[in-house]
Amino acid sequence: MTRSWTGPRVAPYLFILPNMLLFGAFTIWPAINGFNISLYDSDNGRTFRYVGTENYAEIVSSAEFWRVARLTVVFVIGLVVLTTVAATALALLLNAQRRGRGALRAAYFVPFLVSPVVVGLIWNLALERQNGLVNTALQAVGLGAPGWLLDGGLAMGVIIVVGLWTQVGFYALIVLAGLQGIDRGLYEAARIDGAGTWQQLRLITLPLLRPTTLVVVILATIHAFQAFDYIYTLTGGGPLGATTLIVQFIYESSFESPIRYGLASAAGVVLFVVVFGVTALNYLVGRRQEAV
Amino acid sequence: MRLFRAVTVACAAAMAISACAPGQPADEPAAAGPQQIDWASFRGQTLDYLYFTDGPDEAATRAVIDRFTQETGSTVNLQIVPFADLERTLQGRIGSGTPPHVARVQTWSPYADSLVDLKTYFGPDYPQQFTPGPAAAAQAPDGRMLGAPNDLTMNGPFVNVDAFNRAGIPLPTAQDPWTWDEMVAAATAVQQANGMESAIAIDKSGHRLSTVLSAFGTALIGQDGKEALDPAKAEAALNSLNGLVQSGAILKDFWLEQGSRYRGANEQFLAQQVPVYLSGNWQVGQFAQNATFQWAAVPNACGERCGGFPGGKYLVAFSESSNPALGAAFVEWMNRAEAQRAMSEQSFWLPTRRDLVESGITYPSRTEDMGVFLADVAVTPEDTYAANGSPAFNGSARLFVEEISKLFAGQQDAATTVTAVKTGVAELVEQTS
Repeated sequence: MTRSWTGPRVAPYLFILPNMLLFGAFTIWPAINGFNISLYDSDNGRTFRYVGTENYAEIVSSAEFWRVARLTVVFVIGLVVLTTVAATALALLLNAQRRGRGALRAAYFVPFLVSPVVVGLIWNLALERQNGLVNTALQAVGLGAPGWLLDGGLAMGVIIVVGLWTQVGFYALIVLAGLQGIDRGLYEAARIDGAGTWQQLRLITLPLLRPTTLVVVILATIHAFQAFDYIYTLTGGGPLGATTLIVQFIYESSFESPIRYGLASAAGVVLFVVVFGVTALNYLVGRRQEAV
Repeated sequence: MRLFRAVTVACAAAMAISACAPGQPADEPAAAGPQQIDWASFRGQTLDYLYFTDGPDEAATRAVIDRFTQETGSTVNLQIVPFADLERTLQGRIGSGTPPHVARVQTWSPYADSLVDLKTYFGPDYPQQFTPGPAAAAQAPDGRMLGAPNDLTMNGPFVNVDAFNRAGIPLPTAQDPWTWDEMVAAATAVQQANGMESAIAIDKSGHRLSTVLSAFGTALIGQDGKEALDPAKAEAALNSLNGLVQSGAILKDFWLEQGSRYRGANEQFLAQQVPVYLSGNWQVGQFAQNATFQWAAVPNACGERCGGFPGGKYLVAFSESSNPALGAAFVEWMNRAEAQRAMSEQSFWLPTRRDLVESGITYPSRTEDMGVFLADVAVTPEDTYAANGSPAFNGSARLFVEEISKLFAGQQDAATTVTAVKTGVAELVEQTS
């Protein structure tokens, strides 16, 4: 018996074939090639020599890489926790509000639309020690003029807060969609049973939001690991490397002399493995909690 | 099981392609010349010229290119990229086999294997058209001339003349330049008299810091291309700079903000918040346009030696372009006396040709200030050209900024900074040699 090319078993694959070819050419192939390049070394980006796993060994023994990795972990945890909490809180507020909800939703979403480079430049101006908007306001109320971008700890806090500012509107929209998917009847039943607002939140809203929260955590984690452009324009990785995260390490290894694509690709592969691992872990933990 | 199969297939695919080297082997050096250039053959051809602009030079470049087009009948496709993207763009295009015919670059060394040896077309004496420092820096150790020096830059200080006049402090002259200590004392006095933010501003750049090192008698990289920092002299230079930072004469914030990225202090100077600003001749054009006060270029302060620290740009032609002869011809044409004179005059560039340096350039304005930089060229030590031309210089300069920022932040002392810079520069020289 012959199968028809237009039959139900083959046709769906034909429909997705063009997309899969493009996906393969522009996503899968570069990823595999990136792994390939990580096995070579070059100091000019054109002539390569095969070095096997030497780049990985260099990364593992590099104090700078581990310093950057530690900073990245601090940044990712800080940003993901803050983003998840703030997005949920914001979505609850927007969900409760009747008038002007659309306008507020748009207002919170706007920073997400701004180019990250512009975000970096805006905040750099705002946080400038002597004449920046923030310190001018603080000085006006007698609170001094902290060097936001001059102290390592403060600068890390700044990049987390700016990251939150840019993303919270986007994640709040996702949580809002999750909130609106919850059956209103459950709240009515809870009210009849005498449950207060806090009990409704704790026993209905948050448990039923868990799948949405999982999505937020996974996406925010991936975004946080990839954060680069606004940080680069805001702090340049400074002061004294206190905000140099792993993507900047990759960028500088790739594009600043001496150009070492192999080392940068190896760091990229490590980053991929870590992000993949963390995402998978989040997913598995989330699924297990759901099953329980 | 299915997952295991998928992972196995992915690994096999990755291993299979890992057998293919991602790059290509280096080309052999070009055969000795000279070869004939058939200028008539360029009619109807199109040349790609990858370019970055420093400001007023774009219009001048287009005007000079128009003359090339009229003369040869070829078309020039001027492709302007931001300076920050230049190396990435070129490496990408070389890697993909589509290099431009010609590019304007700050250093030719990253592309050495892909460049035309200009001596094969214009003879072994071609470098002698240029002044010795830039000519030497344009040649590889094996004698190939891989770029034509297109313009020279010279680091040097600018002063706010109005502020100096108000403070009653005299300016230095070419005959009687400041010593380093005199410059510091004068700048501090003018700052205090005028209530300015700081006394001295220096661009956050290892290149500019190299001027200070040179004044104290040392350099990151020596004439032989090896690490050459003299620990005692470097420590003296760093202690002097650190003293200025800790006393507030140089802004500490400026050096600690924004990582090790380059940052110009020109806005601070234009805002009249600093009386002495160490930068270079490329600022003349914009100061002529934007400064609302009297300013002037003055000779570099002398320490153990005088002069500044040179930089410059090269025009390079690519051997793997569709017509290397056309590229080489364009490079030669753009660096003929008439073309370089036109470019220098309109763009406030310092020329690199011997004949133009001897005859001098008449700029539309600020000729006297440009003359100060040109005079400093004559007293700038020869080893600084070699240092700037080293493939390891850019990385070394960035490392220098990183380490000196730690010194300014109080994280390490000058001796530790010098040791870290020496070790790092030696590693970079090793990596790039």
